[in-house]
Amino acid sequence: MLEEALEHLVKGIVENSDDVHVKARRLRKGKVLEVRVHPDDLGKVIGRNGRTAKSLRTVVGALAGGRYVRVDLLDLHEVR
Amino acid sequence: MSNGNSENADQDRGNVAVADGPEKEGAAEPAVDIESLEREGDIAADYIEGLLDIADFDGDIDMDVEADRAKVSVVGTTLDELVGDKGEVLEALQELTRLAVHRRTGHRSRLMLDIGGYRDSRRKTLTRIGTEMADEVKRKGEVKELEPMSPFERKVVHDAIAGAGLRSESEGEEPNRYVVVYPADD
Repeated sequence: MLEEALEHLVKGIVENSDDVHVKARRLRKGKVLEVRVHPDDLGKVIGRNGRTAKSLRTVVGALAGGRYVRVDLLDLHEVR
Repeated sequence: MSNGNSENADQDRGNVAVADGPEKEGAAEPAVDIESLEREGDIAADYIEGLLDIADFDGDIDMDVEADRAKVSVVGTTLDELVGDKGEVLEALQELTRLAVHRRTGHRSRLMLDIGGYRDSRRKTLTRIGTEMADEVKRKGEVKELEPMSPFERKVVHDAIAGAGLRSESEGEEPNRYVVVYPADD
């Protein structure tokens, strides 16, 4: 549910919504949601002073109901 | 811009009664047309509704235009998580919703989002606090600094204080900006 919710939130605010992909990875103490967006949209999902990224994290954190969830915002082509 | 009477006194002159209610921020801006505000509301409602569906929240969405802004309210009983501590989740969602509207319209949106009646009840509480603070400042004649508040909360308090005939300003930096109330002869 969290992946889907985050994908919806991000798709709604970027230009290239087809390029939005969210992948969940399990961590020992919770999980990471990796959001990949078109390079042109990365600035948008981060926002001025990281404001948009913070808003996304706040909402996802609320939906996770206290469980630890990290949200990483990445360029589509970024390798990790 | 003169509007024929002297309700909008620029300087504070003591006990001048403000007959026309509190001064509105941005009152000089041109009125936005209703149709584009309704479109803002539609886009916002779709965005929020999509989230409610995915996260399995029960909520009805009301749309309205209020004071030159689109307003979208989610009404339901179990929405506390979407409001959060001191409304922080609500503020975050409003921020994202405005961006979603901006993407579709190309215009920056001032849309207001409310969830579970949070803003309405907060507004009542803050109006009461603002009025009480104004009374206290009138009584003691001393400058009073309030607790840090969000922009929405400060706006409500400023309005209540202006309604009581006093002057107030915001000071400090976000997120610790707070309202300062000045006595009439300051």
